[in-house]
Amino acid sequence: MITMKAINKGYMLGEERLPILKNIDFSVEKGEYVAILGPSGSGKTTFMNIVGCMDIMDSGEYFLDGMAIHETKEDDLTEVRNRKIGFIFQNYQLIPTYNVMQNIIMPLLMRGMKHGEAEEKCIDTIHLLGLGERILHKPNELSGGQKQRVSIARALVGKPAILLDDEPTGALDQTSGRDVLKLFKELNEMGNTIVMITHDLEVARSAKRIVRIVDGVLAG
Amino acid sequence: MRLSEIFRLVWLNLSQNKFKVILTSIGIVAGSATIMMVLAIGTGGREEVAEQFKNLNAGAVDISYEENVVNEKVTLTYEDAENLMLFVPEISDATISYSATASVEGGELDTSSYYTVAGVLHNYGTISNLGMAIGEFLTEENNQNKEKICILGSAVANAVFGSAYNAYDNTLYIDDRAYVVGGVLSEMGSVASGISPDQTVFIPYETGIKYITGNDISPTITVIADDVEAVESVMADVESELKESYPNTAFTISDAGSKMEAASASNETLTLLLISMAVIVFIVGGIGIMNVLFVTVKERTNEIGILKAIGCSRKEILLEFLLEAGCTSLVGGVLGVLLALAVTPVVELFSVRVELSVQGAVLSLLFGVITGSIFGFYPAYKASRLVPVVALNQE
Repeated sequence: MITMKAINKGYMLGEERLPILKNIDFSVEKGEYVAILGPSGSGKTTFMNIVGCMDIMDSGEYFLDGMAIHETKEDDLTEVRNRKIGFIFQNYQLIPTYNVMQNIIMPLLMRGMKHGEAEEKCIDTIHLLGLGERILHKPNELSGGQKQRVSIARALVGKPAILLDDEPTGALDQTSGRDVLKLFKELNEMGNTIVMITHDLEVARSAKRIVRIVDGVLAG
Repeated sequence: MRLSEIFRLVWLNLSQNKFKVILTSIGIVAGSATIMMVLAIGTGGREEVAEQFKNLNAGAVDISYEENVVNEKVTLTYEDAENLMLFVPEISDATISYSATASVEGGELDTSSYYTVAGVLHNYGTISNLGMAIGEFLTEENNQNKEKICILGSAVANAVFGSAYNAYDNTLYIDDRAYVVGGVLSEMGSVASGISPDQTVFIPYETGIKYITGNDISPTITVIADDVEAVESVMADVESELKESYPNTAFTISDAGSKMEAASASNETLTLLLISMAVIVFIVGGIGIMNVLFVTVKERTNEIGILKAIGCSRKEILLEFLLEAGCTSLVGGVLGVLLALAVTPVVELFSVRVELSVQGAVLSLLFGVITGSIFGFYPAYKASRLVPVVALNQE
């Protein structure tokens, strides 16, 4: 599903180049549930942005679902993000002026689907995540756990090749966090490929495989 | 994304920020209202000029006494008019007329009123393109016999007798002498040879001298050039011909064409001035839209980041923000048109003629939308170029 070879990424700090990711090789098979575990400043968010096609690597090769991402132009990456990746963000990243339904169907609308068709298509996902009663609520009328469920629903509706979770429990209380992790497990059992990034070992343990990142280098 | 869905998002964003939309569009409201009023006032002015001069013959040249160096007043006569016809080539017709004020009684009037009474020849009606509502214009015999007959302007007929029909063949008292109303003019609404026909009572030239003015008159001779192109040479010839007859006298010689041109030119200058003003208002309004859109893009950077992360293309983001600018301007344009409609009666109170038109409304709407879209383009472009990861992390 994911194959990365010799990925390097750095930022310019004045005249000097600050390396963030160093020669990373990484792969994920279809149906896997992988946690990338690392402390703050280890480069895991930068890594997540590259895996999610939101940032471009300086060098290396990246194949996602058979597609050479390192050779793909920005305009085409938009479509990759829409069709192959489902993002779940730590801060939910919901659009505050849209209600639950409008937030969830956005990825489908971006594929050119009609509004009614998109709503119909996401009904199952909405019920799976227990949001049936909340579809007309705005994000500010939801609890943290509910917001995260909306974020998950939005990531799922497009049936992406991979679900990317960035600290999915970071902003949740313990109970909601546990519920979300349980949900990820269920989603993985349903066949979804999941890559999760976290600094919390307990959270990482819910995944089937843990890969550590320290100072921009992947280990085990 | 489908265009209809982008429109739905635009509507969603605008409908949730109604107050902001109205505040943003104020510049465009002012611009659209101004451009609509400018076009309406410009059209009104043009029509006013056209109406004022509609019965003026473009080849007409008016000649009147101005001054005499030895202070002996000169009164132009028939003979002068006939001489001009005889000696100035390229003249097809000539007439002479004068006007005075006289008291008028009769009909429905309880007390006497003062009206302009014009002493004219039989050909004055043709030369000034006067149309008859009822009856016939004065004849040569009326003048020769100094008959007490009059032709009423439409406003006079209405004021004195209630209608042209009632006035016809009735009796009008001018300076206490009874005149038969031989006809009533159609509504002319204009000024010819310094006379406003609607407000005037026309009587035979000689009748006026005999019963109303005596010989103390300042007549105007009107000659008609064969061709509008010949007006200048006719004016020059008239001047030299009159110099021979009256060596120490200056005459005012003016042509109707130049009057029309001058009036049109001043109207066009005014319209141009008002349009410049509208353009400035639009630019200010556009800059207002640009500023607010920049702030909006800044406020919604995170939202743009989310949209990009889940697959919204640059083109779609550009289009969404551009449509928001366009729709905000459209709201401004519609409000501007409504404002113009509301302001029109107030402007008309100041005797300014305003001719509102659908074309004017459409044009001002179009100007509004185009201005908003042009000024909205740069912020929209900036929004579309945001790097997703940077936009997403913006607080």
